[in-house]
Amino acid sequence: MAHAGADNPIPPGSAPRRMSSGMRLLLGNEFGLAVLILLTVAVFALTLDGFTSPFSIYTIGRQIGIDTMIGLAMMAVIVTGGLDLSVGAIGVCSAMLFGWLMQVMGVPVPVAVPVAVLFGASLGFVNGFTVVMSGVHSFIITLASMSIFFGVMIFLTRAAAFNGLPPQVQAFGKMRVLPGISPLLLIAVAVCAALVVFYRYSTLGRQMLAAGANARAAELSGIRTGRVIVACHMLTGLLAAIAGLMVTARTGAAVPSMAGQLGQDWLLPAFLAPVLGGTLLSGGRVSVIGTLLGATFINIMTSGLLLMRVGEFWILAFLGVMLLIAVLADRTRQVFLTSRGMI
Amino acid sequence: MTALQVSHVSKSFPGVRALQDVSMTMTAGSVHALLGENGAGKSTLIKIVTGICKPDSGTVSLNGAAVRFANPRQAAAGGLGVVHQERNLVTRFSVGENILLDRLGKRALSLVDYTSLHREAEKWLKLLDLDVDPRTIVSRLSVAQMQLVEIGKALSLQSRVLLLDEPTASLTPNESTVLFRILRRLRDDGVAIGFVSHKLEEVFDICDRVTVLRDGRNACDSAGLSQLSRDDVVRMMIGRAERITTRAPRPKTDAAPYLELRGYASGAGHRDISLTVRPGEIVGLYGLVGAGRSELARAILGLSKQIAGEVRVLGRAVHISSVAQALHDHGIGYVSEDRKAEGLILMHSVLANGGITIWRKLANALGLLRDTTIAARVGPVLRRLEVKTPSVHQIIGNLSGGNQQKVSVAKWLAAGVRLLIIDEPSVGIDIKTKAYLHDLIHELAEQGTAILLITSDMPEMIDVADRILVMDGYRIKGEVENDRSYDPVSRAIMGLIHEKAAA
Repeated sequence: MAHAGADNPIPPGSAPRRMSSGMRLLLGNEFGLAVLILLTVAVFALTLDGFTSPFSIYTIGRQIGIDTMIGLAMMAVIVTGGLDLSVGAIGVCSAMLFGWLMQVMGVPVPVAVPVAVLFGASLGFVNGFTVVMSGVHSFIITLASMSIFFGVMIFLTRAAAFNGLPPQVQAFGKMRVLPGISPLLLIAVAVCAALVVFYRYSTLGRQMLAAGANARAAELSGIRTGRVIVACHMLTGLLAAIAGLMVTARTGAAVPSMAGQLGQDWLLPAFLAPVLGGTLLSGGRVSVIGTLLGATFINIMTSGLLLMRVGEFWILAFLGVMLLIAVLADRTRQVFLTSRGMI
Repeated sequence: MTALQVSHVSKSFPGVRALQDVSMTMTAGSVHALLGENGAGKSTLIKIVTGICKPDSGTVSLNGAAVRFANPRQAAAGGLGVVHQERNLVTRFSVGENILLDRLGKRALSLVDYTSLHREAEKWLKLLDLDVDPRTIVSRLSVAQMQLVEIGKALSLQSRVLLLDEPTASLTPNESTVLFRILRRLRDDGVAIGFVSHKLEEVFDICDRVTVLRDGRNACDSAGLSQLSRDDVVRMMIGRAERITTRAPRPKTDAAPYLELRGYASGAGHRDISLTVRPGEIVGLYGLVGAGRSELARAILGLSKQIAGEVRVLGRAVHISSVAQALHDHGIGYVSEDRKAEGLILMHSVLANGGITIWRKLANALGLLRDTTIAARVGPVLRRLEVKTPSVHQIIGNLSGGNQQKVSVAKWLAAGVRLLIIDEPSVGIDIKTKAYLHDLIHELAEQGTAILLITSDMPEMIDVADRILVMDGYRIKGEVENDRSYDPVSRAIMGLIHEKAAA
C-alpha cells in the first residue's frame, strides 16, 4: 500500500478549531437566540416600567436558574431520543424527601442535599432501567412512573408541606450573591459549565451522544447502549432533584403542589428550553448553552408580558405557541441534516 | 413497441454522481436485464423511473408519452408496476387484501366487499399459477409465494411494464424456475419486464436484452443479449474481463486458531457451526441472502445467545455476551454491511466515528478525554487508509461512500483488533476504493490479523479469501479451498449451496 505523501489528505494534528457547517448551524441557533434575548430585553426595558428594577432582575434571574435546571434535566434524556414526563414528579419527590429529612429526621442541610439529589438519580434509574429492560418507549414508561412517584409521595406525606425547614434553606433562596444575582442562577450556570465539559470531554458523555444519534451503530462499536441510556435517565433524575431543591429554597418550604398536579407544571419549560436552544428531539446532539438561553428567553418574555398585565392564561398559550415554533425549527434542522445525509 | 424509455438521465446526491447520462429502452414482449455491480446505479435508476427520486436532467417516457411521476402511486396508476427487493406486503392481511390494497373500497368510508375482492384477487393468483386461497394470511406463505403475490399486486394495476428488483435473491432454484415460467408467459402476453439480478445464469436464461451500468454510466444501452457472451457482459460490468486475479494463493498458516467455534448453535437459529480463523488468515463466508452469515457475525459478537457448542478465543473457551466484551476483552471487531444504519453515526464527526472504539481506553482516571488525544491515535490510521476529508471534524455524512467505508474500517484498526469480521465491504462504494479495500484486507492479514470476510460478491470472495466456508440455512455446508481459479471455485461453492435442492 502506498504511503501517504505530501498531498496528505489529513494534516497531522489538524486544526481542531475548523468549524463544520453543522457546527455553524448550531452556533447560528444559539446566536439567534442571544440576539432575540437582547432585543426583547431592550424593548421591555424601554417600554415597561419596573422591568429593570433590581427586584425584577433578581427574581427573573432566579427563575431562569430554576427553569434552566428543569430544561437541562429533560435535555439529558432527550439526548437518547427519549423523554421523561416524570421530571416534575422526581423533582417534587426529591424536594419532599429533602424536607422530611431535615424537618422530621433532623438531618443537617449539607447531608440532606446530597441524599435528596441521589434519591432523584435513583428514581431516574428506575425509569431508565424499565425503559431499557422493557424496550417500551420512554413516553409510556415515564407517564406511568410520573403517576406512581407522585401518588406514592402524596400517600406518604398525606399531601402536607414541610414548612419548618432550617432557616438557612430559605435564606439561601433569598440570598443575593452579587447585587441582583441569586445563587440559584449561579448554580444553574455552574451545572451548565459542568455539562459542557461532560458532553465534550467525558467518555460517558460522548457515549450518550453516540447512543442517542444511532443506538445500533453505537452498540456495534462496543458501547453498552443499555447502560448508557440508564445513565441518561439517572442524570435526568439528578438534575430534576437539584431543580426541586432550588424551588424548595425559593419557597422556603417543601410543598407537594410546587410543580402542580403530578409535577406537570414543569413539562412546558422542560421541553421549551432545550428545544428552543437547539437540542435535537431525535437525539444525538445537545446544546447546553442553548438550554440556558432558552430558559432565559422564556422568562424574559413571561415577565415582560406579566408586567404588561397580560393574563396568566394568555402567557401559557403564548408559551405553547413558542414550543410549537421551536419544534418546527427542530423539524427544519432535521430535514436539513437529512438532506445532507447526516441522519 | 417501446414501452418504457429512459433518455439521458443524470442524478447527483451530495458527494456522489449516482447517474450520468443514462439511457435504456424497454420494449413490450421482452425481458430486459438491468445489470451492474453494487453501487453502479441500478437502484437509483429504478427510483427515478418510479418517481421516488427526481432526475436532475433527462426524461422518462411511458408508451411514448413523457412522464414525471411524483411518487410510486402515480407510477403504479400510470401502468408501471415495481416489485422491490424487500417485501412490501402487510403480512397480517390476507393475500386478496394485499393484492388490492389500494382499492379496497371506493371511498374511505365505504365497506369492503370481501366476496368480490377475493374473486378479483383469485383471477390474478390463477394467472400466476399460485394455488393459494386469497383469504390466506400473507405471513403463512413461503417467501417465493410472497414474491408472486407482489407480482400479482403489480399486475393487478394493469401494469404493462413490470420492474423486478432481484426477484430471485431469496428463492430456491426450483422456485426461480416457476417464476421464470410465469415471466415468460407475461412476456408473451406483451408485458415489458425489467429484471435486475446478480446471477448471470438467470439473466442469460430469461432475458433477451440488456442494459449494463457501471459507475453510474451506460456500459451498454439495451443491447441484444443473444450477441453477447457471458464474458462480454462481465467485462462491461466490471470494466475488464472476468476478474483476472493477480494475487497468488497465500501460503497456508498453521498458527493456532484465533477464533474457533465447535458445534456452535445460536439463538438466531444457527446449528452445528464449526469453524476456525487463524491469525493472518482470510476466511470467506459465502452464502445467498438469508443464509445466516451476518447473523452469525452478530452471534459471535454476543448479540444472540449461544445455546450450544463452544466458542474459543486463542484456545480458551469464552462466553461473549456483548459487543463491548468482544471488543475490549477479545479484540474482535465487526464492519457492518449496513454502513449508514449500523456502521457509522452519520451526524457525528469523522473523529468521533473513528475514535468511538477507543474512548474507554484513552480516558483518564476521571473518565475525561480530549480530541487531541483521540486524534493522535485515529489520525495515523485515517492517513494510512487515505481517508479524504477536509478535517477530522467534518461531519461524516458529508463524505463519499468510499471514504465513509474507510472510516468504518479505520475505527477497528485504531482499536487494534486481532480478529476483524468484515461484512459486505464493497456495498455502495466505487471500484477504486473496492480494490483498495481488498489490498488493505490482505495487508492486515499479512500483519497477522485474523479476517472473517462475508460477501455475496463471488469475484470479490475468490479474489480475497484464502478458503471459503459456504453457508446455507444457518448451517455451514462445506468448505472450498480457494486457488483463485474462478470457474471451478464458484462451481464448487454453488454446488454446496444447491446440494439440498438436489437431494
